[in-house]
Amino acid sequence: MTDIRARLQQVFREVFDDPELEFRDDLDANSVEGWDSLGHIHLIVATERAFGIRLTTSEIARLKQNGETAGTLVRLIERRASAGAAKG
Amino acid sequence: MTASFKPGARVEQEPAEPLGSRSIEAYLESDAPSRASRFPEFQAELRAIRDGGGCGAASEFARRAITPKLDLTSLRSLLKFRAPDRSQDRALRLAVLGGPTTAPLVPCMQAFLWAERMEAEIYEGAYGLFRQELLTAGSGLDRFGPELIFLATDRRDLANPPVDAGPRQMEEFARAEVAGWTGLWERARERWNATVIQNTFADTGYPVFGHLAHRIASSPEAYSAVVNRMLYEAAGPHVVFHDLRLLVHEAGARQWFDPRFYVEAKLPCAPECMVPYGYSVASLVRALRGRSKKVLTLDLDNTLWGGVIGDAGVDGIEMGEGSGLGESFLALQRYAKALYDRGVVLAVCSKNDASQARAPFEKRPDMALRLDQISCFLANWEDKPTNLRRIAEALGLGLDSFVFVDDNPAERALVRRTLPEVAVPDLPEDPAEYVPTIASYRYFETVSFTQEDAMRSQYYKHNAALRSLAAGARDLNGFLDSLEMVARVEPVTSANRLRVTQLLNKTNQFNLTTRRYTETEIQRIAESRDWSTCTISLRDRLGDHGLISILLFEEKDGELEIDTWLMSCRVLQRGVEDFALGEAVRIARERGCRALVGRYLPTARNEMVREHYGRLGFECTGQTDGATTWRMDLAGRESSFPSFRIRKEEPL
Repeated sequence: MTDIRARLQQVFREVFDDPELEFRDDLDANSVEGWDSLGHIHLIVATERAFGIRLTTSEIARLKQNGETAGTLVRLIERRASAGAAKG
Repeated sequence: MTASFKPGARVEQEPAEPLGSRSIEAYLESDAPSRASRFPEFQAELRAIRDGGGCGAASEFARRAITPKLDLTSLRSLLKFRAPDRSQDRALRLAVLGGPTTAPLVPCMQAFLWAERMEAEIYEGAYGLFRQELLTAGSGLDRFGPELIFLATDRRDLANPPVDAGPRQMEEFARAEVAGWTGLWERARERWNATVIQNTFADTGYPVFGHLAHRIASSPEAYSAVVNRMLYEAAGPHVVFHDLRLLVHEAGARQWFDPRFYVEAKLPCAPECMVPYGYSVASLVRALRGRSKKVLTLDLDNTLWGGVIGDAGVDGIEMGEGSGLGESFLALQRYAKALYDRGVVLAVCSKNDASQARAPFEKRPDMALRLDQISCFLANWEDKPTNLRRIAEALGLGLDSFVFVDDNPAERALVRRTLPEVAVPDLPEDPAEYVPTIASYRYFETVSFTQEDAMRSQYYKHNAALRSLAAGARDLNGFLDSLEMVARVEPVTSANRLRVTQLLNKTNQFNLTTRRYTETEIQRIAESRDWSTCTISLRDRLGDHGLISILLFEEKDGELEIDTWLMSCRVLQRGVEDFALGEAVRIARERGCRALVGRYLPTARNEMVREHYGRLGFECTGQTDGATTWRMDLAGRESSFPSFRIRKEEPL
């Protein structure tokens, strides 16, 4: 498991109060208990905090849409990491 | 500023038996900044305890770990360990009505109320429907029946006047706005007799008029300023303001407002800011319930001045104008002095030689604090928990009303471990940050301010002096006589009603029934024919204690029931109870009642009066769940009571 996924697993466990949760890219609102609209806010807040990033309104909205999965979140974080590396 | 600076840093006493595993205690003893990295480990341990059948223990550890310095995610995690606490007072029925979305706010409020052991049942109104909830008979709120309503509204709940409005139109506009809000408050009072916590309106936008905004009467900023002011003027005693502007100001608007979450979820502020928001509202609830802190206990070396007095001497300590560090310490002294002027009791708890510790107060004219402002001054080489207990005893105040300020992390850890009921702020290393840090905890919130508050510290100072006198006096009665106490007895009047309400709602220890009444209810009681009221104010040769005892009586079937009997703990053991009994008997006789009936209703905090009626010669006539009923037959008793050590002042 990549470092990003390992840290996201921590975030998911914390936010959804499930110490056994296994992170997979295909997790979505249907497969994770508590991932409702309020849970979504908490997920965004905890993710931003854990990775020191700030998501845009459209990204926050997109992650909530049907068919979107945790994999989308991984890619958003990766994109920021590489943008940061390019700048740095 | 570190532990190694002073000889007192060594923690010599073996701490009290730790309840949990070592790492849990270590986590709870440390300051918030160093806790963050250890949170996952702490949480895992709590889970292990809970899953091993220790629900109550896990809940208690989690409760103690709650501080306003936590992030939102961790705070929510701790709240999940909460187990119902049946030992507490009856749960408060609290309604939270938005305006904007309140969903993340409510758990934050719940967490901080829990941290303060204030059980609350919270009703959360539907998004944006606060008016409907309040005004519709049979609404969810109506069925809930709130005692306290938090109107969690924001600036967007105010209309904006047309920008070309003239002065008269503006005035009408504002007046109509204010009438809308006061109508909601009235509704809350009339229908449920509920107190309202009303948010002030903090500007959310960026003023199109910029620096000119407040000179343009019809600008949104000028308008909210006018509405806020008018609301303050229109509010009666059952309305308390939560000044949201203060929170925005402290955090900064760029940090407080997060437009992403407003457009996406209608959150009034950034999700992380829900933590200080919830804490702030909870601190007002704490004040309403009479649970704000009362005593600020200060360390000396490296807290009130820089350096160690024993090493540096009076002229060597860093304190005063001229250096940044010296001014930082002076700033804390000035802050403490301002709190003192507001009625907060100051105490000193220092590991020092007593005469050396006093020297700067006596010899340095640039000290902002003076010895006579410190109600109890304790400097010795004993451990701080022992000294804190002594100070509490001398002042006659519970340790749960104490704040302990000390620059030394080892002392903070020992106090947190030994006396978990004492509030211990995480003092930062930099003395320049002392004041903002202490202020951020909102320990001393209050919902009213009277002349008596301003004088309170002096009462406690006298009290501490009296206790040390009494300890030395062989004959207690002789000592009491020497005080030359004079009591003034009055019913509840419009002049003392505010003070009466305040005392009723904050007295926890010497309080037989702990019944809380609003000012309006007190007025009704005072005017009712079936009720009698009695207040006692006391002074002695050392000072005036003000109004210190309240008794409310209701006549029922020819007997006089003592609905409420409470007394300020600062006049304990002076014979005031016997004096008050004499007054109760007098009132009962004047009404032609044949007996006095008293009740004791136990709470977590009024153990000291369990045997109150028994001591006064009442007969116990009933007992259920720790509550007891007592009766004193007046028919067979002598017509007058023995003379008391307190002289009654005859009305003019």
